[in-house]
Amino acid sequence: MNRLSRGALLMLVLALAFLVGPFVVVFLAGFSGGESLKFPPETYSWRWVRHVLEVEAFQRSLVTSLWVGFGSTFSALVLGVPVAYALSRFQVPGREWVRTALTLPLVVPGIIVGLALLNHMVLLYDLPVTASLLVGHTALLLPYTVRVVSSSLANLRVDIDDAAVTLGATRLQAFFKVVLPNIRAGVAAAFVLAFITSFNQVPVSLFLTGPGVSTLPIEMMAYMETSYDPSIAALSTLLVAFTIVLVAVTEKVLGISKYV
Amino acid sequence: MHRNRIAWGLLAPALAFVGVFFLLPVLALLAGAFHVDGVPGIGRFVQFFADPLHQQVYWRTLRLAGLATLVSALVCYPAAMALVRVPPPWRGLLTGLVILPLMVSPIARTYSWIVLLGRNGVVNSTLVGAGVIEQPVQMLFTEAAVFVGLLQLMMPLMLVSLVSALENLPSDVLAAAHTLGASRWQTFTRVVLPLTQEGLIIGGTLVFTGCVTAYITPAMLGGPKVLMLETLLYQKVNVAGDLPAASVIAVLLLLTTIAVNQGLRRVAR
Repeated sequence: MNRLSRGALLMLVLALAFLVGPFVVVFLAGFSGGESLKFPPETYSWRWVRHVLEVEAFQRSLVTSLWVGFGSTFSALVLGVPVAYALSRFQVPGREWVRTALTLPLVVPGIIVGLALLNHMVLLYDLPVTASLLVGHTALLLPYTVRVVSSSLANLRVDIDDAAVTLGATRLQAFFKVVLPNIRAGVAAAFVLAFITSFNQVPVSLFLTGPGVSTLPIEMMAYMETSYDPSIAALSTLLVAFTIVLVAVTEKVLGISKYV
Repeated sequence: MHRNRIAWGLLAPALAFVGVFFLLPVLALLAGAFHVDGVPGIGRFVQFFADPLHQQVYWRTLRLAGLATLVSALVCYPAAMALVRVPPPWRGLLTGLVILPLMVSPIARTYSWIVLLGRNGVVNSTLVGAGVIEQPVQMLFTEAAVFVGLLQLMMPLMLVSLVSALENLPSDVLAAAHTLGASRWQTFTRVVLPLTQEGLIIGGTLVFTGCVTAYITPAMLGGPKVLMLETLLYQKVNVAGDLPAASVIAVLLLLTTIAVNQGLRRVAR
């Protein structure tokens, strides 16, 4: 039983092929040379990859996606790091209640959050769509930043900030000069994880886009409804390549897999 | 007392944010499902389920989610048991291959099925070439396509949960079972399964709720013909402009995921 059984190994190989195979398919289709989507392609070229980089709608929505991604990740860290610190260092009465309240955005399906923000913020209070998009993504990312930074803080000895305070530092100085440099890796991992989550997000953004404001994934889904050329395959190829590089680098530097 | 004040000062901004920009809007939306013309009641739910299409969509959502959960458990148990026994240098690479799909845009991952299952896709052209079928058959926009897409999207969650449960399983337990004469099947059902059931419950919850609340997969591979709860919700808002119906679906989505979550937790106990 301790050695690898052949049947189980076969199942592992099949499962991995099922999970990773689609990337190969998208890669090949993205480099096709023909007019329409065909698999396997008859000829290969850079044509569609070059094409998608020039489409204005994709450029514009990419800028929005990057903006919302960085903005909401930053906001979720600014709100989430103090929470993680408070929960790990102070005996807060009702801490379980606080924890539950802050994980709610993970429990409620994103499409509901998006629709609720559309009704409440955009239609009722006339808040701009981009601001609602930012707010919705921030709420969604908050549980991630709290969790990742909390697990990073859990590995850090409590007495190092107490030592700093005893030695005359204020609480604030102790945090910025002693605690923060020690949880750098955790904060950076939270950043990458949160950014990817926001960048790939569809359900929350679904109702919070309109004429002129759209994120890249929403734009891709809209494009698919009308065109059947290899553009989306080419764009997906770029996204897959970008993610592989990002994940490989962060895994090497930060060991992100232990936070997923 | 002083420390308490600092702690609440640190928690307040996040709690206020979640309260104002998340809880309040969501509660307002959900509340819309529980009154008709200002009179509180569950009339909207009765009205919603009176439509056979809505019943069909709800059952399809539960059916696909249940099936995807079952199949991913059946595939991932042996796969995870093999993965934890792979020697170190390979193991890191394989774990990376399991985690990577979780980071990649679900649109990119789902698009491969459009490439494979389309009229000019490799499945159709192979079948036509081999003479099995005379003309390309409709594979996209079927329930089977949605199922395959969901399975591929959600399976890593089950695999990751089972791997971390199996990693915590002491290996001498298996050796002991073997020495005491248990067969492989007995070892699995009487030793491995009870000791790793928590991983199975977590993985199952993630896969099931992931499928119930899926939007991209049914939108891309199912279209208007194979609606699931979220694509129906989208249609209610953007095509029919029927916001109360959307509120009803939102409540159903939430209740279903919470019920499954609590139900599976109770099974574990």
